[in-house]
Amino acid sequence: MKFLCVNCDEGMKLDTTSGPREGSLEAIFVCPRCRYKIVMLTNPWETQLVQTLGVTIGGRTAHAGPFEQILSSLARPGGEAQEGANAELTSSGCPFAGMFEQAEPAESATGMRWAAAATIRLERIPSFIRPMVQRAIERYAMEQGHHLITDAIMDEARSRLGM
Amino acid sequence: MPKTYKDLVGDGGSNIVGQVTEQLTRLRARMQGIKGRVAVVSGKGGVGKSAITVNLAAAVAMEGAAVGILDADLNGPSIAKMAGVRGQRLVITAEGVQPARGPVGMRIMSMDLLLPHDDTPVTWQATMQTEAYIWRSSMEATALREFLSDTVWGELDFLFLDLPPGTDRIATLADILPGLTGMILVTIPAEVSHLVVRKSLALARDLRVPVLGLIENMTGYYCQNCRTVGDLFRPGEGPRLARDFGIRFLGEIPFDPRLARACDSGIPFVAVHPQTAVGRVFQTIARDLSVAVYDEADEHPERGRR
Repeated sequence: MKFLCVNCDEGMKLDTTSGPREGSLEAIFVCPRCRYKIVMLTNPWETQLVQTLGVTIGGRTAHAGPFEQILSSLARPGGEAQEGANAELTSSGCPFAGMFEQAEPAESATGMRWAAAATIRLERIPSFIRPMVQRAIERYAMEQGHHLITDAIMDEARSRLGM
Repeated sequence: MPKTYKDLVGDGGSNIVGQVTEQLTRLRARMQGIKGRVAVVSGKGGVGKSAITVNLAAAVAMEGAAVGILDADLNGPSIAKMAGVRGQRLVITAEGVQPARGPVGMRIMSMDLLLPHDDTPVTWQATMQTEAYIWRSSMEATALREFLSDTVWGELDFLFLDLPPGTDRIATLADILPGLTGMILVTIPAEVSHLVVRKSLALARDLRVPVLGLIENMTGYYCQNCRTVGDLFRPGEGPRLARDFGIRFLGEIPFDPRLARACDSGIPFVAVHPQTAVGRVFQTIARDLSVAVYDEADEHPERGRR
């Protein structure tokens, strides 16, 4: 979208932007020759469409951060849509901070104990798949109310999980 | 005569074209390190596309390739569950977001990793939720672009993209990712599925998206007792469909209940059952696919540079 000053036949330049307020962005354009000003007011759908494209009216002063658009637009868990909400990745107020802390492998985080015989069997599983198998068996054992994984529970889990 | 749109240079100060160009530059830079970018599509839902993606990717990784999976089904993500990475926390670095680490060293990114609860749907904040259909598809395309360009994939031999059902998704991906190496079509031996797959194939041809091959899932029932495969649907239709469109038929995957259970438990079936009938089929397809991708790269080296 471009604006032309009818009196001067000059392309108008963006002066300032503000908003969105109540779903509307405000962009003031000025004629570089006669200084005549107009204000463009977007309707909520136009505002939303611009935001979904990941571009900024008025230009950017910094490069977009990783997942900027996803994190600023994904609705807060259990929350309502909030106008202008902008989740900063590094901010402690980020609603997704829980998903973005240090990576922690899930294996052995369950506190489940392994009997010696079961541990030996676990060791025999190829290393590249072992953490996944361990996690699946631990999850199965927890669901069944066990605290110690034995040979028998491994057999049961393998049969039930199709391993 | 007053000036027209084309006479006016620039857009007055927002530099929207520059911002979009910068997005594309980021995407291209990220994709530079990825040799094969393969979309797995079906057109029809419920044909086992995600299960095939995970197992095929695992089979390729078991051959020694560096493999990533992007779950491009934003609204119904299932790859994180099938690859056992749900609950892994993502790490942000200066380079971007580190993907989750799955079995066989696979790097995985999915919207599921951003959702806190099993029953949390993907909804977007908006100034107006009414008539959200106007902007929702744009938002989803932007999210897909960010997943591609902001994930630290590193050097990969293959990046598999698991697309949601719908022939329109092929067009969206082709727009976002011009350097797409090609796509794999997944069908089941049922006329209703073939009917939709034919549309996907025709659209791919129109869009000039290379088709790397067709996989037919659930071609029969694998009996664990008899170790034989019995028919579920009318046999032989997949190869015929591939012949009709002049594409490679990559293979038939019989239905094995253990595959479904393995998906639920987050372990690729092929990794724990490589010697079964189904496991062997995945490994054969993985090798054929590798050949198809490198053939494609050989014939069209310019795609990899986009």
